[in-house]
Amino acid sequence: MPNFKNSLMRRVSVSTFILGALVGLQSPAFAGAGHSGGHNDGASEIGAPGEISDVRRTIRITMEDNFYDKEKIIVRGGETVRFVIENKGEFVHEFNIGTAAMHAGHQEEMMMMMEHGALEADKINMDMMEMDMGNGMTMKHDDPNSVLLEPGKSAEVIWTFPKDAELEYACNVPGHYESGMVGKVRLQ
Amino acid sequence: MKQKFARSALWGVLAAIAVSSTANAANYDLSVDYVTIDTGEMKTTGIGYNGSSPGPTLRLKEGEEAVIKVTNNLDEATSIHWHGLILPYQMDGVPEISFPGIAPGETFTYRIPVSQSGTYWFHSHSGFQEPDGAYGSIIIEPKKREPFKFDREYVVVLKDKHPHSGARILRNLKMMPDYYNRNQRTLGDFISDVSENGFGATLSERGDWGSMRMMPTDIEDVQGFVGLINGKSPEQNWTGLFKANERVRLRFINASAMTYFDVRIPGLEMTVVQADGNNVQPVKVDEFRISVAETYDVIVQPTADKPYAIMAESMGRSGYAFGSLSPQEGLKAEMPARRMDAPLLTMADMGMDHGNMPGMDHSSMSSGNENSMAGMDHSNMAGMDHSQMAMSKDDPFYAAGSGLTPKAANGGKFLSYADLKAQKPLYPERPATREIELRLTGNMERYTWSINGVKYEDAEPIRLKYGERVRFKFVNETMMSHPMHLHGMWSILDTGNGKWDPVKHTININPGMTVYSETEVDEPGQWAFHCHLSYHMASGMFRKVIVEGGPAVAALENGVQ
Amino acid sequence: MKTLTLAAIGGGVLATILSFSFTAKADNHIFYGIQMEQFEYRSGDEDENLFVWDGDAFVGTDELKLRWQGEGERDLKNDLYENFENRLVLQTPISDFFDAKAGIRLDTPSTTDRWYGTVGIMGLAPQWFEVDADLFVSETGDGSARLDVEYEGLLTNRLILTPSLELNAAFSEDREIEVGRGFSSAEIGLRLSYDLIDRAVAPYIGVAYERKLGKTADFAKDDGEDYEATYLVTGLRLLF
Repeated sequence: MPNFKNSLMRRVSVSTFILGALVGLQSPAFAGAGHSGGHNDGASEIGAPGEISDVRRTIRITMEDNFYDKEKIIVRGGETVRFVIENKGEFVHEFNIGTAAMHAGHQEEMMMMMEHGALEADKINMDMMEMDMGNGMTMKHDDPNSVLLEPGKSAEVIWTFPKDAELEYACNVPGHYESGMVGKVRLQ
Repeated sequence: MKQKFARSALWGVLAAIAVSSTANAANYDLSVDYVTIDTGEMKTTGIGYNGSSPGPTLRLKEGEEAVIKVTNNLDEATSIHWHGLILPYQMDGVPEISFPGIAPGETFTYRIPVSQSGTYWFHSHSGFQEPDGAYGSIIIEPKKREPFKFDREYVVVLKDKHPHSGARILRNLKMMPDYYNRNQRTLGDFISDVSENGFGATLSERGDWGSMRMMPTDIEDVQGFVGLINGKSPEQNWTGLFKANERVRLRFINASAMTYFDVRIPGLEMTVVQADGNNVQPVKVDEFRISVAETYDVIVQPTADKPYAIMAESMGRSGYAFGSLSPQEGLKAEMPARRMDAPLLTMADMGMDHGNMPGMDHSSMSSGNENSMAGMDHSNMAGMDHSQMAMSKDDPFYAAGSGLTPKAANGGKFLSYADLKAQKPLYPERPATREIELRLTGNMERYTWSINGVKYEDAEPIRLKYGERVRFKFVNETMMSHPMHLHGMWSILDTGNGKWDPVKHTININPGMTVYSETEVDEPGQWAFHCHLSYHMASGMFRKVIVEGGPAVAALENGVQ
Repeated sequence: MKTLTLAAIGGGVLATILSFSFTAKADNHIFYGIQMEQFEYRSGDEDENLFVWDGDAFVGTDELKLRWQGEGERDLKNDLYENFENRLVLQTPISDFFDAKAGIRLDTPSTTDRWYGTVGIMGLAPQWFEVDADLFVSETGDGSARLDVEYEGLLTNRLILTPSLELNAAFSEDREIEVGRGFSSAEIGLRLSYDLIDRAVAPYIGVAYERKLGKTADFAKDDGEDYEATYLVTGLRLLF
């Protein structure tokens, strides 16, 4: 029988794209987190965390079960946007900026989180997320391009978009993306 | 003066109510007719609605009062049951239980306060009119936005159309229970088993079945049907159009008399979003089994500009339905290869293997503690992982070692009842007030079917009290699967998921299994409760349920017009 | 005279079954069925030609059925009925796989008629043997017994090989119908059928071997009759 810790750890360590910061339970951990930009291979193509000083515009996004209130957003190439995201639903939802392929990969990881009980339909099990994987790593990974929110919680993401890319913002909680909890980012 | 004002105010209010209720009422007309059913290879006279079988799709709206006038153009009595709808019992359409039925030439007006949404269906509850073609679909549009998005939708009604009339089928089964079973084991099977397992082992295996006088091939009582999708045979190829990348919602309804279907769309993952009209937390599958009378809504997103096959093979592999999702009319999908290796029942399906007992008992798993995972100590991870693995590998709704346990054609994910989690719990959790055991019983050699060993005609009704929450314990003592349908009230299927236990109208119980469901007894009146396999129901696997107490139900003005 | 009796019996059975069938329309808990296990032409090794039938029909509920069982042999060469028997019994389940039955039997061959009272059981024995076992007491007070066993061997799902055995025994001698005490006769058959139309029409070919036993055989020998015969059979199995 595969050892849970090992198999999960392997997934985590090879993963380029792990569960987002668990904002809403704590402070927006990534807000000034310039250090985490390098986590993504796709970072350059999807953009990078932005600085509050560059923000010209705030976009409010409401999460419901299981959809966003906006089906697309329009931003200028290179623009830094502050997203204020609120989960008004009764389930855990994610707001994650990436390409369709990145989302597909991330969905598998989220599925594993759910299968292992770290993630439930309506709550995040912090103790499991923070669990030491044996080498100082945890599942709680501060990825600046995503937030995972329990019902009633809200968070901010500041993101500088690239000049040109095919991007989506999506919820990768199992089944939600397929149900249509995804929106297009139109870069102009 | 004051009095006059008061009176006119009263009239005003009444008028307003009258106006609003008219605005809220939707009128539908259905005629019940003799029709010709043409599947390409056979032409039979059957029964349909508004001149065709299947009947139309009724589109209702949550919150409206649906006024449905049903005119009987047959020369025998008829009825329409609105399968899965919560309504006053007099509108439920079961002759002798809800109302007297609709006599030839008469019109009956159903008035249904629509208080739910989702995919449902309707069918005759008289004689064998439903197997003979009297069925149609219902879509109820919700008031609120649904928890999923789709660009277009299709109803996909599955049906096992048989060349024989329902009455003749049951007579044949009574005369010879294996009349329609053409998947029996033959000399050839014996020889190949001998070469595989040895003569002694094969002989002793045959001997075990023979001493019970049961057949491991006894999975589909009624073979020889043509599988239909929306009334179209495989050769007639029902086609749903799409544009690449659209989300297509498919509302699967199994309106079959006897046949479970294993449904897949090769090349597409299906996201199940609704079961029996109630939204479930979306779950991605490669294939699912739909019991008779169940509904499943799935969302697919075909990305390629090519036709996709909707393939529905019967559980016993004796027949299949087929249709296409296609980017353009007339473009037929390539039919995937049929799986001809018909399943065989095992001793586990006979309830012989006592090893499966712990797995069967879901109550011990649920115990009302859906957070048990969260509370787990990290040191227990390995153990927890194990139980999870077991869950995902063996469907806990089949006996351990069952020959019926399904596998996806592509080796991927096959939907289990255990995957169904309510999107929004309909009722708060509370312990059941009492448990009622229903043993599903029968004798295949006599083709008699019963509950607790007693046929409907000899049975006392099940009496429930308004306001109680009753827990039904279904113990399947037969070797066949039975889809049990309680009219008028929801069945909360115990999957061990606590408050997320899904809410259904039809609960399948596989051979050798014990399954629990709970019902909040919140509808007064009297209701039918039965196995939805037409010939099991007609043979006596049926009960009347009487709900005692509760608000008095005003006699509705729905007489013959 | 004989023809008249037969017509009366046939008409009576038909009328009963039809009247039950009409009731069946009103109440779908009543079922009926008609079956001919054997409906065949036999050609013997000594230029004998026989027409033989063995069938039954029922009408009734799960709990109570009225069943007609009939069999006969017509000697086509000599134009006489070697055997002509009709039974009318009421039948009710006594276990999961067996029914008890009781009723009357009338034999009207070309020789001597006999009335019988009968009780018996029929059903499915372990390993799928179809069994019909009956006891008879005739109007002359002679007792006899019969055992019928049949097995359907599926070569394929439509090609079926059916071995059958019928064994008769008498508890006392009835010289008038030439039956001696002890085992009186046996018949072994082997038929290969093909289900042509559902289970309704299945043509078959096969062999049948008949033999009189013990004292009964001696009576036949004394009369200069054959006491055994082998036949090639061709026929139809019918089920409606």
